[in-house]
Amino acid sequence: MDRDRISAALANSKADYTEIRVETRRTTRIVYHGQRLETVSNVVNAGGIVRALVKGGGWGISTFNSLDTLPERVQQAYDSARVVQAEPIALADVPCAVDDIRVTLEQDFRQIPLTDKQAVLEGYNDILLSYPRVIDTQAIYADQFTTMTYANSEGAYLREERPMATTYLMATARDGDNVQRGFDGLSVPGGYERMLGLDGLARQVGQSAVDMLSAETVVGGVYPVVCDPKLAGVFIHEAFGHLSEADFVYANPQAQEMMQIGRRFGNRALNVVDDGSLPGLRGSHRYDDEGTPTQHNALIHEGELVGRLHSRETAAKMGEAPTGNARASGYRYPPIVRMTNTYIEPGEASFDDMIADIELGVYACEAYGGQTMLENFSFSAGHGYMIRNGQLAERVKDVILSGNLFTTLANIDAIGNDLSFSSTGMCGKGQGGLPVATGAPHIRIRDVVLGGR
Amino acid sequence: MDMLKTLSARTDQAEVYAVQSESTSVSFEANEIKSAASEEAQGIALRAVVDGRLGFTAASGVVVEQEMIDNLLASARFGDTIDITLPGPQAAPEVVSYDPSLAEVPIDRFVEIGREIVDALRSVDDAAQVSVEIERTVAQSTLRNSAGAEVSEQSSDISISASIERVRGDDVLITYDAVDGISLDDGYRAMVGRLRARMERAKRAATLTSGRMPVLFSPTGATLLGLPILLGIDGENVLRGTSPLSQRLGEKVFDPRLTIWDDPTLPGRPDSSSHDQEGVPCFRKALIDKGMASSFIYDLKTAALMGTESTGNGARSLFSTPSPSPSNLEFAAGDQPLADILGGIERGLLVESVLGVGQGNAISGAFGNSVGLGYVIEGGEIVGRVKDVSIAGNIYEDLRHLAALSRERYWVYGQMLMPWMLLPELNVVCQE
Repeated sequence: MDRDRISAALANSKADYTEIRVETRRTTRIVYHGQRLETVSNVVNAGGIVRALVKGGGWGISTFNSLDTLPERVQQAYDSARVVQAEPIALADVPCAVDDIRVTLEQDFRQIPLTDKQAVLEGYNDILLSYPRVIDTQAIYADQFTTMTYANSEGAYLREERPMATTYLMATARDGDNVQRGFDGLSVPGGYERMLGLDGLARQVGQSAVDMLSAETVVGGVYPVVCDPKLAGVFIHEAFGHLSEADFVYANPQAQEMMQIGRRFGNRALNVVDDGSLPGLRGSHRYDDEGTPTQHNALIHEGELVGRLHSRETAAKMGEAPTGNARASGYRYPPIVRMTNTYIEPGEASFDDMIADIELGVYACEAYGGQTMLENFSFSAGHGYMIRNGQLAERVKDVILSGNLFTTLANIDAIGNDLSFSSTGMCGKGQGGLPVATGAPHIRIRDVVLGGR
Repeated sequence: MDMLKTLSARTDQAEVYAVQSESTSVSFEANEIKSAASEEAQGIALRAVVDGRLGFTAASGVVVEQEMIDNLLASARFGDTIDITLPGPQAAPEVVSYDPSLAEVPIDRFVEIGREIVDALRSVDDAAQVSVEIERTVAQSTLRNSAGAEVSEQSSDISISASIERVRGDDVLITYDAVDGISLDDGYRAMVGRLRARMERAKRAATLTSGRMPVLFSPTGATLLGLPILLGIDGENVLRGTSPLSQRLGEKVFDPRLTIWDDPTLPGRPDSSSHDQEGVPCFRKALIDKGMASSFIYDLKTAALMGTESTGNGARSLFSTPSPSPSNLEFAAGDQPLADILGGIERGLLVESVLGVGQGNAISGAFGNSVGLGYVIEGGEIVGRVKDVSIAGNIYEDLRHLAALSRERYWVYGQMLMPWMLLPELNVVCQE
């Protein structure tokens, strides 16, 4: 959509503040299910959102597919804002961003023929199917190219190209009633070249599904647990990161007390950061969806809470600075406070040091899923191993960690030297999924409750 | 320009699915009205069979017909070779899923209802932070295909949800509930009543010791037990062989008091319709009949691959191909009043909600979840909220014998009509 039409619609708005975001996303998707090539499709999803503020009112929002009705949508957002009789909303000042961000991909996936993409994916799927007792697979290739235009009545105007290439592999192995899965993937804001050469990943996924068949269900109880970087990263995002989002605390005095800056969360080795400006990760962008530049935001420094994540609205409300964390899951949603790339900084311990003095414990790997209810959390590890007398022992399954965030963070007693970032993260938070990265080294936690029989 | 005509001339079978909807919503955050929104959505999805292969594409926004047709034909070159036959015109039940009066409700009325809910919940505990979402949608879909089917479905939907956050020191209560219907009525007051009861009961704390004990699931809590069954009867999982029920149709799998219907014909439900989203007539069927695995659900494609008929459960969103999905789920009521069931529990746990429903290897029936909101039952009474507790089991063992099912039921999140379910014994782990 051209700049003149957007500028004209903004200029004609009766609201005190108006912003417009318009997106066009072209997605190619190829899916294998078992032997079957299930889907090969190209779809085009285009639409936009207008958000408006009036004096004495709250947000008025209008979302739409028919882009030729922009002036009406601006009026509709203004009318909606007037319905909302509420405390006035202020927006913290940010420099007025004007930028045009184009990407150059090493191999632009838009230029690669579908047959090539399909053949590469078929190769990975064949690897999965080659494992004995693998009865089903799911192999997905997707590339997405989004062109986003953002403008507001303060004069910001951004145009950004956002590529995303994804390969996701899953194998299901079955032995009688015992059905187990292995899965992994790679999803990056990069070119087609990143989707090539993933045979090793496919072999790991196939092998993992088969290995899980012989795993026993872990015996429930309280254990020292070593989490691998994938699980630790998901844990810090879900259990702690969401509480750092200022929209959780700004209107809630009790929550503010719980998340008081300066509160001790863990020992001095614990440092947690959210940083949307890191290059090449899933949560990376130069600007957030309100035109605020992204930056390095320390959340926990040497065990103490030192910061939180803001949109312009929450920053103004709390008298703090915007952090570049207002993000939207597409044009159907207004931007809200979201994480970008969230990680635990590396410490000094090696993996061997961590398990050396554990007589009986569990090594929990990968995250199947997780849910938190503020200070309570529950996470399923993809798989795990018993630790016996300082050594990794047999594989176990159904490893589900649950507990209290504050106790658990305080119980982190070793942090590894091997930080790595996940490459498949998605975060929901009441909107559609938004790409994020999570990262961590291995961490060791005392006294974790594991469910089980 | 008629895309169906263009496509019919160039393909063996073709389908044009168009959707259009208008929504209006208000949301309250932290006890205050926060925003009002309108949403306009429209788009077109195409499917076609070319040389026996099925292709798909979709677009929203400014639809460029040529780009869509190119995308469709490209997709069909790689498509599944399945023997799918798009349905022609077919007789279907009359189903009420649209109330024209809903579109006339002024937005100010939604603001009033939101305030009423906030006030009613804050009166239980003024430290509660209440969020409310009220959304009205009026939608129309039209499905036309080369076999001559032409199905238009109009629907109205009002959904009202409320969530509460109450933080006191490190003690947190979060609870959520929702209702929906095709007309605006006072059903939301029952939801408010449930939320108020949970807040009242959570005011007292109680403790529990790890062990095996009777566990009573509220309808909301019982979704944990229902989900693996829904995965098990899903035609996709049956087709892939990943469903533990796939070879067990006609077998007694669960307690004989467990009956679950899929009923798309229920009048007045937003998920009801006369035809599914592939043009196949809908009908009521028992998925689990007195404990026996009775029926799976299929769309056209999974049915074709399984060599059977679609059960009228083809569901789709604009950008996805159809897949089997249940409509309104109804669990049979039991014969005992809830009060009697509670009264008979000497010492046990009442589970109102758990964290992480569906995480882990849910399809296997195994579950292990920490309890989000749970209460200790002692001497037949609910004595207080218990925290840091988790439960674990497997529905394929634990639902073989139920201790009781309640007479009372409610619609959980507007999707599943469920009773309270008492399991005689389950493993409960408490953090000391």
